[in-house]
Amino acid sequence: MGQAVISDFDLARDAASGKEAAFETLVRRYQGAVRGVCRRLTSHAAEADDVAQATFLMAWRKIGAYRGGSFKSWICTIAYREFLQARRRKKIEVEFDENTHILAFDSSAARLPEQLDLDRALKTLPENQRICVVLCVATGMSHSEASAATGFPLGTVKSHVNRGVAALRKQLATESVA
Amino acid sequence: MQTEERYDDLTALFEAQDEALQNEVFVEQVMKPIRRRSRWRAPLLFGAGGIGLGAALSQIGGVWDALKAQAPSSIEADLSISLDAIPSAQLAIDAQSVWVIAAVLMVASCAVLVMTERA
Repeated sequence: MGQAVISDFDLARDAASGKEAAFETLVRRYQGAVRGVCRRLTSHAAEADDVAQATFLMAWRKIGAYRGGSFKSWICTIAYREFLQARRRKKIEVEFDENTHILAFDSSAARLPEQLDLDRALKTLPENQRICVVLCVATGMSHSEASAATGFPLGTVKSHVNRGVAALRKQLATESVA
Repeated sequence: MQTEERYDDLTALFEAQDEALQNEVFVEQVMKPIRRRSRWRAPLLFGAGGIGLGAALSQIGGVWDALKAQAPSSIEADLSISLDAIPSAQLAIDAQSVWVIAAVLMVASCAVLVMTERA
């Protein structure tokens, strides 16, 4: 008989009562999503992992405030706020730079060409557009959730996402033809 | 009702990248400070609470005598101390200051709780 998967809500509730093992399961479950968001926002692997770690530590402290719904959206909102704080503290350069080294997500893993293209294409987007694309497309947040997380008006989020997605698709199509 | 546009093609690419980021070392990095913090939190809170409770109990008349009556006489002999000496030392402390200490300990415990507990 297969082992039942414990829901995020139950794990969060257990973690809120101090059970570290439950929180560890959540970390294991969402580390990829959080580290991915942080890397796409910061463009620096080391900085991104620092922000990701700070995100989980903040989540551990605030886990009692999680009231259900998408845990991924909840924790990615924390990741976005931690990114903003880290940027304020360390003045991370987030503007697109032609000379910026394209971040390899995992050098040990086989990388599909379209994933490298995606990284490159994402970096060409203006910052706010990239933030909205990362939150809505990569993490699966709704436009309203992204609007609440970023403080951008809902219409602005929709516009950024639509333009960003169109730009990404266009670039990916161009690069696949080339 | 208006539904949001789906981006399944792009989302699948992002998810594949996220999958490649699974790493046990990172999980350990996150959990290490959490475990360390939890390790001292309980002893500190219970210790401070216990001292506060002890200070409060010591102010209740008859408690000390009851404890003294319960204690085996061999303890006094083994440790070469007299329990009678302790109440006299206790009297030297102003009763008000004991309550101040107890209150400070309670506030300190609450502060530790606020700092370490989750919201």
